[in-house]
Amino acid sequence: MKIEGTHELRAARARVYAALVDPAVLARCIPGCERLEQTGEHAYAATLRAGVGAIKGLFTGNVRLEDMRPPEHYRIVVDGRGQPGFLKGAGDLDLAERDGVTVIKYAGDVQVGGTIAGVGQRMIQGAAKMMAAQFFTALEAEAQAAPEEPPPRHNFFRLALRWLSGRLQRLFQRRPQSS
Amino acid sequence: MIPAQFDYVVPSSLDEAVALLAQHQDEAKILAGGHSLIPAMKLRLAQPQLLIDIGRLKDLTYVREEDGQLRIGALTTHYELESSARLRDLCPLLAACAGSIGDVQVRNKGTIGGSLAHADPAADWPAAVLALDAELVAASANGERTIKATDFFVDMLTTALQPGEILREIRVPLAAARTSQAYLKMPHPASGFAVVGVAVNLARQGDACQAVAVGITGVAAKAYRAAGVEQALTGGALDEQTIANASAHAADNVDLNDDLFASADYRRHLAQVYTRRAIAEAAKR
Repeated sequence: MKIEGTHELRAARARVYAALVDPAVLARCIPGCERLEQTGEHAYAATLRAGVGAIKGLFTGNVRLEDMRPPEHYRIVVDGRGQPGFLKGAGDLDLAERDGVTVIKYAGDVQVGGTIAGVGQRMIQGAAKMMAAQFFTALEAEAQAAPEEPPPRHNFFRLALRWLSGRLQRLFQRRPQSS
Repeated sequence: MIPAQFDYVVPSSLDEAVALLAQHQDEAKILAGGHSLIPAMKLRLAQPQLLIDIGRLKDLTYVREEDGQLRIGALTTHYELESSARLRDLCPLLAACAGSIGDVQVRNKGTIGGSLAHADPAADWPAAVLALDAELVAASANGERTIKATDFFVDMLTTALQPGEILREIRVPLAAARTSQAYLKMPHPASGFAVVGVAVNLARQGDACQAVAVGITGVAAKAYRAAGVEQALTGGALDEQTIANASAHAADNVDLNDDLFASADYRRHLAQVYTRRAIAEAAKR
């Protein structure tokens, strides 16, 4: 199956490229990434909890970066398997800069097998596009942050809001009892 | 084909169901008719820890007219909607859409609310509720809110429903419903899902098109309103040529699905053809 697309990131190309090859950044940006460990030069072992809506699965696999030409190109090779099936593939990422905007073009060929391919074939491409969009949105935030700044925490704001609303709720619940 | 272990509760009211959902959030899934969730669980593509079975809340099964709206309980089955004489009279699009879903077993158990909340990109209902400008009522522990159909479908299998919310009711404005309607689909030969499904809701003024809404499913990651077709047809004559010209816009500005059964180009072609046929059929009524 071919997967391709283009994303525009409002950040400098060198910064985007640096983020794209930084395992700590990747671990934060890849949707559902639970673990990303370095196993060699530009080679990593990963655990992903990936999925869309009610359909979710745990995948483990290997990621390798090849043909690295900063700041414009690299090739990513992945293979993984999990309960819902397996996937194996490679893709090329090309980065171009245009008026301070980095345009990332990605094109890959992925083979998917197992249960997910048998029953979910019609949705795999959509799911891949959705996850790519999530990934590049998170990556954009990473690349925009100044180098000395702590990395943006994608869930931090939501967590803070949840904590705050929890406190407020408790506060409001307490009030009628005290009066 | 044996699901992973899960807990199971049967709430006795919607209030109890939303309270349970608020308590368990991400670990829990709502079970309605079970014709999407159970197969996914059997294949272990979905492994919720808790099922909250609202399927027995009979007070969520109804079709009634109220405040100029057609109100449909979320647990009304496809079969109940397909076989309602009142509905065929009031809003034939809904009845036709219900009758085109899957097979008789699916229609007997599957529910309109379950299908909409699951938001399968090839489900039939999304096209119909979009074309009818329906509103969807979501209940949660914090009360209720109404979501427009056009805001409801966010992406593949993703809706505007928040983690603690349950879809309770579908509301169709009757003024919009009393028009010329049609639902036409090309079903996948094995699954019955729509490769392309087109819902048309047309208001005529003599031989001209006063207003038209076109909802299309199966073509993209989510069902959508074909704005290009609507613009091209509104105010125009309902003749063969005008309809064909307008239908050419059926898949404009859409990222088309592409799978083993139908390539993106073939889907675009199907969307145009089925849109043309569906509008022509609606115009005859």
